[in-house]
Amino acid sequence: MKPDSPVLRGEPDVGDAPSGPGQAPAPPGQAPAFPGRGRRRIAALVGAGPVGSRLASVFLAVVVLCAILAPLAAPYRPDAIDFAVSLSPATPEHLLGADQSGRDLLSRVMYGARTSLIGPLVLLAVASVVGVAIGTLAAWSRGWVDAVLSRVTDVMYAFPGLLFVVLVVAVFGNGMTTAVLALGLAYAPTIAKYTRSIAITECAKPYIDAYRVQGMGSLAICVRHLIPNLARSLVGYLVVLFGEGLMSLATLSFLGFGAQPPSSDWGLMVKEGQAAIVQGAFLPVLVPGAAIALVVVSFNVIGVRLADRLGTRRL
Amino acid sequence: MLSVHNLCKAFPGTVAADAVSFELPSGGSLGLVGESGSGKTTVARMLVGLVRPDSGTVTVDGRVRDPRERGRAARLRRAREIQMVFQDPYVSLDPRLTAAECLRAVLRLHSKDRSRVPVLLDQVGLGTREAGARPHQLSGGQRQRLAIARALAVEPSVLVLDEAVAALDVSIQAQILELLAQVRRDSGVALLFVSHDLAVIRHLCEETLVLHRGRVVESGPVAKVLAEPEHPYTRLLLGSVPRPGWDPAEVVRLRREMEASEVF
Repeated sequence: MKPDSPVLRGEPDVGDAPSGPGQAPAPPGQAPAFPGRGRRRIAALVGAGPVGSRLASVFLAVVVLCAILAPLAAPYRPDAIDFAVSLSPATPEHLLGADQSGRDLLSRVMYGARTSLIGPLVLLAVASVVGVAIGTLAAWSRGWVDAVLSRVTDVMYAFPGLLFVVLVVAVFGNGMTTAVLALGLAYAPTIAKYTRSIAITECAKPYIDAYRVQGMGSLAICVRHLIPNLARSLVGYLVVLFGEGLMSLATLSFLGFGAQPPSSDWGLMVKEGQAAIVQGAFLPVLVPGAAIALVVVSFNVIGVRLADRLGTRRL
Repeated sequence: MLSVHNLCKAFPGTVAADAVSFELPSGGSLGLVGESGSGKTTVARMLVGLVRPDSGTVTVDGRVRDPRERGRAARLRRAREIQMVFQDPYVSLDPRLTAAECLRAVLRLHSKDRSRVPVLLDQVGLGTREAGARPHQLSGGQRQRLAIARALAVEPSVLVLDEAVAALDVSIQAQILELLAQVRRDSGVALLFVSHDLAVIRHLCEETLVLHRGRVVESGPVAKVLAEPEHPYTRLLLGSVPRPGWDPAEVVRLRREMEASEVF
């Protein structure tokens, strides 16, 4: 039984998208599996705000569902080869066409959503743990600790991230894990700088002084009270960075440093589809390319919206 | 009791405290008066350990407070000696915590009975509705009540109030002052009230200390200092309070005369 969601069904806006996982065929039935409460919760998540951010939320929800339900919802296995339909255009059998090996592009892009979404998630997790720790430490200690950390971050910040990753990959070998961890470290200075700037403002507030007067230790104040109070600002920033991270990882896969065949990572799909353009077939590049573009734009729109809700527009 | 000896602190360009000494007996109340920039907030922050003095000592119940003494036990002991209520209750409370959570956090830190939360809230006139409210859902007066409860949760010997009513409406000020007087009667905590407002000091304190450019220029019982001020600066402060027939131009002239006569 293929579960359906209220979002997936009847969302014409998403269907209008030129390509990408938005066109996932809505399998029949099972709406009752999602009770009204869940529907309201999704509505609350999606409903507020201007049309743009609503569309973006709905689209991302569809992409996430596609990633989760790929084994159930995808019409084919992502690596099912069928040379009979090599470079097939969009047909009822292959809604988004097929690549050189005749692999169904819709299925591949749905499965590809998994690596393409989990990659940036792990990347950001690594980057935020390192970045928030450095930024908070700098803002809390000030003085020479701050000076040293800030200069180190500046140097790392000035070093091109992609070059850094290529160097790391050259040393530790290709692969998604290496690429994700290296990019995570490359993103850490950005997050550290941002965290430091908002943490300095927050540290100046008397409630932090109040915790010190109460006799609370520095570590406890930072971990239990300071960072949680920064979380709202940080989340908006991280949402935008998520889109950027996805793009960087796709770039790395495109260059051959990230995901390796036969993965259906979107960046890798674009790379593998290049040859098809010469043969006049655009879908193998267009489908994953559009998926990347739409997801990145959606994250940016939502990130800006979150920043707006905080009353300050960043970026 | 609190004993402050020769406290000095200089910031680049200004002297915030110049050999400030005073004593505050257990359960007593002292008003620290001065205009903006006179160094009174710096003195308050040095007492609680937020600013490190250049020299001088703060002694509570015979034990010298040393901010260099690290470790959890030393921190908690210092916290139990002196607590502080900050000027602006809009930013001195953690925006994430409800009133009850705020108090629970302090009680947990000091390994005290967490069931005292309702008692503390009741002590400052907050009820169950306020217990579940976050700071932004409380009024200014309610927030300051919560800040006072938070300070009292530690059961300190001395409570420092840094302009604790300055950010509040006049009618709310009276309520908070009444609350503080009552808290002092009930718990026997000594109050050090830092304020630029002479009326507030007159209402709440027995002793007063007039601070001018970081120096103590006059001290003594409130009634005496305010009735027969000896130092020209005290007279100036008293003369600055608006009243019927009050002439601001006269105050400005007095200030100019005083500044001209001073040797700096």
